[in-house]
Amino acid sequence: MLAEIKNVSKTYESDGNKISVLDNINFTVEDNDFICIVGPSGCGKSTLLRIIVGLEKPTSGEVLFKGELIAPDNPKVAMVFQNFALFPWLTVKENIELVLESKKHGEEAEKVACKYIKAVGLDGFERVYPRELSGGMKQRVGFARALAVEPVLLCMDEPFSSLDALTSQNLKDELLMLWADASMPPDAVIMVTHNVEEAVYMANRIIILSHRPGKIVADLKIELERPRNRKDPEFYRWVDKVYSLIV
Amino acid sequence: MIFPKATISEIIGLLEVVNDSGGIEDAARLAADFDLELDEILPSIDGAELLGFVKVTDGNIELTADAQKLLDTGIRERKKIIRDKVGGVEIIKELKNKLIESSGHKMKKEDTLKYLQNRIATTDIESYFRIIINWTRHAGLIGYNSDSEEICLMSRE
Ligand SMILES: Nc1ncnc2c1ncn2[C@@H]1O[C@H](COP(=O)(O)OP(=O)(O)OP(=O)(O)O)[C@@H](O)[C@H]1O
Ligand SMILES: [Mg+2]
Repeated sequence: MLAEIKNVSKTYESDGNKISVLDNINFTVEDNDFICIVGPSGCGKSTLLRIIVGLEKPTSGEVLFKGELIAPDNPKVAMVFQNFALFPWLTVKENIELVLESKKHGEEAEKVACKYIKAVGLDGFERVYPRELSGGMKQRVGFARALAVEPVLLCMDEPFSSLDALTSQNLKDELLMLWADASMPPDAVIMVTHNVEEAVYMANRIIILSHRPGKIVADLKIELERPRNRKDPEFYRWVDKVYSLIV
Repeated sequence: MIFPKATISEIIGLLEVVNDSGGIEDAARLAADFDLELDEILPSIDGAELLGFVKVTDGNIELTADAQKLLDTGIRERKKIIRDKVGGVEIIKELKNKLIESSGHKMKKEDTLKYLQNRIATTDIESYFRIIINWTRHAGLIGYNSDSEEICLMSRE
């Protein structure tokens, strides 16, 4: 078992009102899990992910990573963001090297950065600034930067939703190629999405949250062979099934 | 001449989608599938055709053997195929030759834009510049330094 989400609830207070956002979430993350968390807008998906990586504290309950309470600076957990979150004044390579600073230095950091730049197909773009990149290339930097810390658990919050449809397709397939490569980190992925097709395409497990406050409605194993094909009737049956559980 | 305004990522994404439909798909159907206007998907189709990854007949898009080869291989090997294909595009060949002839294998962006403007009829040459550089960076052929505002030949490692 990699991580354990135990009785996690979250309540925000605004203007003296308490808003319950997550209600008693329980699940475990195993090696080789590719979990997609889906649910209606505002149901607490992003909040849950931030709690899992330790960026936010639950109001009650806890998240254990390899048996220990998760800490925000856990080097074994990495995050990919919807809006890429790159430093505009740093080049592609510098953005990636930055996350290695505390652990690796000089040549060592450079070697690791280069390895992951190549892995995601960014070679040729090393010295380019984010403003010169298309959305697809920006998110490749996001992937390379997350992988460069060689995380055990990779968390992604809607990593494809600010990309156009075709670019997003390309990046999903490339991410799955990296995922299939046993020599590459991570051991498990948790990805938040509001796109059911995307979840069925990527995940081997889908966790469905209810309307706010988010509760787990279903935790489904997706038994579809890879590579998956969106045109396959079997694929559609899964998409339908997930939809029927959401509404 | 015209040049397709589509990035390499969009073009490969298109190939992946056509592949899911069994290697051949109707352009209009494809656009509808993605909730896109035909106009929005055409540049990617034109780009894929220019690179020799698809054949288009009567609105049907069909993957070529090279596209299949690209899809069947990993991210690193894809780069090599892209390099060959992009290197074979006429306007990129011309740019490359100009760079080989120029001192320091460099050329000012300003001059590049002028050159492209003579070849591509458009009021928005800057966005074509960005697309061409997107292609040539992927291919490892021509880079662009935004500090010095120069394009340059990329060295092979
Ligand atoms: N810091 C905060 N303070 C108060 N309320 C918050 C805070 N962060 C989130 N919320 C509220 O918590 C609820 C869940 O937010 P969250 O962003 O986790 O949802 P989500 O499922 O990711 O939504 P979306 O699909 O729009 O991305 C929302 O109603 C939001 O307004
Ligand atoms: Mg969210």
